Amino acid sequence: MNAISLEHITKRFGDFTAVDDLSLQVPQGSIYGFIGPNGSGKTTTIRMIMNIFHPDSGKVIAFGEPRVDTHTDRIGYLPEERGLYKKMKVRELLRFYGELKTGKKVNDDVELWLNKMELSDWANKKVDALSKGMSQKVQFIATVVSKPDLVILDEPFSGLDPVNTNTLLTAMLDLQKNGATIIFSTHDMSTAEKVCDYIFMIHKGKKVLDGTLSDIQNKYGTDTLRIRCEKKAVGLDSIVGIENVHDFGQIQELRTTPGADRQDILKALMVSNKLLSFEIMKPSLHDIFVRIASTTEEVSHV
Amino acid sequence: MYKVLRLAGREYMAAVKTKGFIISLVMLPIFMSGSMIAMALLKDQVDIRQRHIVIIDETHQMGAVLVDAADSRNKTGVFDEETGEQNQPEYLIDLQEPEADLTQQMSRISDQIRNAEIHAFLHIQPSAIHPAAHPGNSAINYHSESAALDDVRSWLRDPINAQLRRLRLAEANIDETLIPDLFAYSWVNPKGLLTIDEDGNIVDATSSNELQSIALPLVMVMLMFMMSMMGAMPQLSAVMEEKTQRIVEVILGSITPFQFMLGKILGGLAVALTSTLVYVGGGVLFLEFKGFESFIPYDILPWFFVNLVLLLFMLGALMTSLGSVANDAKDAQSLSLPAMFPMMIPMFVMFPVLKEPLSAFATWLSLIPPFTPMVMILRLASPVTIPAWQPWAGLGGVIIFTLLVVWGGARIFRAAILMQGVPLKFSNIMRWMTKG
Repeated sequence: MNAISLEHITKRFGDFTAVDDLSLQVPQGSIYGFIGPNGSGKTTTIRMIMNIFHPDSGKVIAFGEPRVDTHTDRIGYLPEERGLYKKMKVRELLRFYGELKTGKKVNDDVELWLNKMELSDWANKKVDALSKGMSQKVQFIATVVSKPDLVILDEPFSGLDPVNTNTLLTAMLDLQKNGATIIFSTHDMSTAEKVCDYIFMIHKGKKVLDGTLSDIQNKYGTDTLRIRCEKKAVGLDSIVGIENVHDFGQIQELRTTPGADRQDILKALMVSNKLLSFEIMKPSLHDIFVRIASTTEEVSHV
Repeated sequence: MYKVLRLAGREYMAAVKTKGFIISLVMLPIFMSGSMIAMALLKDQVDIRQRHIVIIDETHQMGAVLVDAADSRNKTGVFDEETGEQNQPEYLIDLQEPEADLTQQMSRISDQIRNAEIHAFLHIQPSAIHPAAHPGNSAINYHSESAALDDVRSWLRDPINAQLRRLRLAEANIDETLIPDLFAYSWVNPKGLLTIDEDGNIVDATSSNELQSIALPLVMVMLMFMMSMMGAMPQLSAVMEEKTQRIVEVILGSITPFQFMLGKILGGLAVALTSTLVYVGGGVLFLEFKGFESFIPYDILPWFFVNLVLLLFMLGALMTSLGSVANDAKDAQSLSLPAMFPMMIPMFVMFPVLKEPLSAFATWLSLIPPFTPMVMILRLASPVTIPAWQPWAGLGGVIIFTLLVVWGGARIFRAAILMQGVPLKFSNIMRWMTKG
């Protein structure tokens, strides 16, 4: 069963169409990554799932039923913009958010999560005494303390150091192991590649990618070459069969034109450079994202 | 409903657990009765410096009497009867003959007043004895730097008028000693209506005074006003802050916008009712303890609480919806003034309504829903009896209007609460209310 099904949903704000005829199925128990440039419609889509916005057309189906207010109790939501009552104490705040979601006491769960996130010593401190990373963890606990079936995290890792990022990632994976479905939006493509069962990309309000990472990469084929040269690579732009060069300094990623002969490209590379490595690979999610996001043409539905 | 009450509980605790709430609970009655307390505290603080007054008497029949009256007052009327300490200033009167150039003389005396050499001067014109023969002429003029508020001017009225009557009686050859109580002025005593007790006996009316007539309605309306300021007004900036600090979106992940708004209103209502119960309960206990049970308006208290609750609901819905359209403190400040109209208008018209509670103006104003709670209580608490149907009609109107405000406010709230940076325009607010 799908945790969430979006059926041709559209949302407009005046003349601006934020989400355009979007359909999506999020299987129960999966981790679904939402990616897309800023202003592409991710947050609007999430807000429609949360019933904060109502779609102008189309349907949102949650847990097999048309979306109703009571479904909100089964969904934990971490918004992109963090919002905590600064004058409340951490424990008091978490109990408040948990009870607001479940309608019952959540004292034990609050203590459990405070321990898990190493925030027990801060439980009686006011929120405005916390660092940004701690506030982020408190906000995460507030999202999951009600044991939701579906967890929606909008940019959960923004502003976090690697240690806290790992802590949150581990907690996310634990939630999935316990049966929760997780939707999270991110601009960190490497995290999305590593964690997500499915990836969905929205651009200008339309769905442009949807599937597993390998499905997505297979659509683009093995059109990427990764090389490493002894000295700074030269003359890459002039080689026939190469349409785009991405120079990272130590390595270079080259995108080949459709039908280009890789043996000919290798020969040409060896003429002008002393190669240390040459690898034929699928494009990374980052590369795919950039390709789509940088296009100025009207995007098409997947 | 649990969620609404949980949110209301948080709002309530966030408000009452602060030092500010305790301080305001104590300070509010002090502010409300501030002028009365100040008057009581300062009543003995009288400037007892001598007042030098010049009198220019063109009739030549008044001045000497006023000098005698002042001497008499200085001997008996400026000392405390028990302690013997002086508690009023002495009036020292200097009679001056009118000069040929009277204008020049008065100008010179005015300069002396400016130089603080004397306090004031009184100019009595010849027409003072028979002013009816000279209509429009100001026959007796008192000149000082603050003539209208001067106690000396008030004191002069009685001896001047008594002497004028004596002069007129003398002209008519009437011996004033033949008429007892000639100068005994009568006072029209204000009294209530006669009533019939449980045994069927007619009970005489009790005397009333102006203070008693206005104190009860004044206190009740002031209490309503202050409770609205305490329970509803803060919602505007609170919602604006929750919106700008992005707390709203987290909350809306758990409850609907309407539940959110309702929780805020109920929280504010609970805060205001807590304070009201403290004041009303304290007031009732105090009056009973002091033996003034008859002053406790038990028949009006239920109306007071019902109207207060409806007023707080109405204003709460208004404030939360306006808070949702505000983008910053400046917006909230701009919106707070028009939002206060339902409270301010009744305060402006309080005294005309109290003077004529049965007038068409007072009646209609008390039936216009935004103003009904405060104006109807004002009329109910006044000494007159208003038609029994009017409080019920007003109540019905307020209930319908409150429901409309909550409905409209909820539509605005839902549309505006997540919008950041949308310009504050009346057209936007109306569009959100009508189209959602």
